[in-house]
Amino acid sequence: MTTTAQPVLVRTPVKPFYFNTSAHLLRITTFKANTLAELLEALRVCPDDSIFQHAFRTLQEHHFIREGFSNDFAHWALAACNQPGLAEQLASVDVREFTSLSELRERFVQIVEKHLQLNPSEGARVADETFYFCASDIVIMPTNFVAGSMQDFAKGLREVSVHSIQHHFIEARLRLKLMSNDFSQWLHEDVGLTDAARALNRIDIYTATLEDVREQMVRIVERALT
Amino acid sequence: MTLANTQPATKEHDEPALSAQPVPTHPERRAAPRPSPRTWETPPVPVPAPHLDDYQAIVGAAELDELRFLAREVKGKTVKMVNSTAVGGGVAEMLNRLVPMLGELEVTTHWDVMTGGNDFFEVTKAFHNALHGSEYELTKAAREIFLAYNEQNRQRMQFPEDMVVIHDPQPAALIAARKDSHARWVWRCHIDLSNPNPQVWGLLRPFIEQYDAAIFSSQSFARQLPIPQYLFYPCIDPLSEKNKEIEESFVQKVCDEFGVDRTRPIVTQVSRFDRLKDPVGVVQAFKLARKYVDCQLVLAGGGASDDPEGAVVLKEVKEAAGDDRDIIILDLPPWCALEINALQRASTIVVQKSIKEGFGLTVTEALWKGKPTIAGAVGGIPNQIIHKLTGMLVHSVEGCAYQIRYLLTHPEFAAQLGRNGQAHVKENFLMTTNVRRWLLLLRILVRDRG
Repeated sequence: MTTTAQPVLVRTPVKPFYFNTSAHLLRITTFKANTLAELLEALRVCPDDSIFQHAFRTLQEHHFIREGFSNDFAHWALAACNQPGLAEQLASVDVREFTSLSELRERFVQIVEKHLQLNPSEGARVADETFYFCASDIVIMPTNFVAGSMQDFAKGLREVSVHSIQHHFIEARLRLKLMSNDFSQWLHEDVGLTDAARALNRIDIYTATLEDVREQMVRIVERALT
Repeated sequence: MTLANTQPATKEHDEPALSAQPVPTHPERRAAPRPSPRTWETPPVPVPAPHLDDYQAIVGAAELDELRFLAREVKGKTVKMVNSTAVGGGVAEMLNRLVPMLGELEVTTHWDVMTGGNDFFEVTKAFHNALHGSEYELTKAAREIFLAYNEQNRQRMQFPEDMVVIHDPQPAALIAARKDSHARWVWRCHIDLSNPNPQVWGLLRPFIEQYDAAIFSSQSFARQLPIPQYLFYPCIDPLSEKNKEIEESFVQKVCDEFGVDRTRPIVTQVSRFDRLKDPVGVVQAFKLARKYVDCQLVLAGGGASDDPEGAVVLKEVKEAAGDDRDIIILDLPPWCALEINALQRASTIVVQKSIKEGFGLTVTEALWKGKPTIAGAVGGIPNQIIHKLTGMLVHSVEGCAYQIRYLLTHPEFAAQLGRNGQAHVKENFLMTTNVRRWLLLLRILVRDRG
């Protein structure tokens, strides 16, 4: 007797996917920088929440921009300090490569430290604008979307807010401590769609808006359904 | 909503009084008959506040669901807002929308207005300017007037709510009522405190330190304080007269009435005739730009009829414009929101070349309408305009002139700026985002306290 693979369409997830979302309230901390040397000092001691805010949260606040915006430190280095080389280095830090804020902080510190070692005179030059370290108070909440099937999952992806996309796709790795995201984890572990999970995890968040990311995810899921 | 206003402010947030007809700058246009002359003497009847569901088409159902979830978490909690004027000014305008929206979400919100005599509002107007950095000598008499009216209001008001929000410096000393209240107290500062007069800030600071939290409109306005400081950007209401979608035929009618030619590029600045908005600089930038590109300039504002300084600035602007047929100067009364809306929508580029600015809500309005915007890099404007991404920041007349030329000759880039700017406002500067912030704050300060 020959067996045929069960069509994906009727594949039932082991567990449903619960779409959550998060809301953030921006707090102004006491840390600020008027020079690159002050930025370095503050980067070393500011709260983890500030690293999260300026590297992760800013992606949502500026989710509609495709190019030229990756994190607030890079933006400040370019716009206020006129340091394109340093800005490029800072902008190349991909938050998806970090599963802890301390590692991410260390990476930013290393970049600024190295830049100032090579260009010591730039440390004390006063920037055009002050960099104010902020932080987020976060509330995580459920949405009305629960996916018990792949069709429901695709519908959820299409209809949840971009805040939910950011929560599951970008910020999840800090929770999971994995180089992955909630959607890919679910597709892999609970649906068995490992290729789709991988494809989803490869979507570039730095060259696409969050709406573009959403569209790409929907396309990947729809392909997996056919 | 309860509104306990026995004697609202008469000076602090007054808007300009009625003005005459639009003021053309050149004899030909002045002489031209207007097809449908307006009567500016009567303000229109206020439009009823929209409901939460009315925003769904703009922000989406998911966004509103999130608001409702956050509201459920704080259902039954109560809030009191206290400010110094019931009508006129940005704070009252914002509260007029915020209070009913919170109420619709079952967070009962009361709004009380500070009462006081003209002496109080004269003192607090001076405080306002001093906190913005003006020279000011704080006298014993001014201090006593400030404290006496705060005490009078403290005795008049009650604070049984869960969270009390005091807006701006005028009622800041009401914190004295805290000892008899179980509420969490929040000071919402709408003004730029980046360079405050030390005497006035020295008077206020001990009061502010007694609050549970402070809220500022920009990171740069925050002070070193021993209490948590939050960032709430000011916001616009996309359904207000000034920002709602309007018929193209109305836009055309307004342009026809004001002599604006829609077949040619239109550069617009909407602002009071105030030197800090640099309208003369805008005229100079326009004249420099027009050497290379064809365009018209519309300067639409108010403040010239009731403010002696406004009248002087208007005169300076008219002198700078000379008899240039392409510069249209409009001195409008404050209730011309629909006309302002139409002019912004008709514009090819919007300029806000401020020298000093609070947040710059006219920039927010222009961005929301998808207009490529050029603005001075001051106050809260850089929070809205990310240079070359959501608009163009400038620091000089020459820089402004160059960006006008550049955007008029690179329409695709200009259109992209407009799209990004609109998305930026949608994410960060709309009334619904403001409601979200208040619900979050209520949860953090009140619910999570137990």
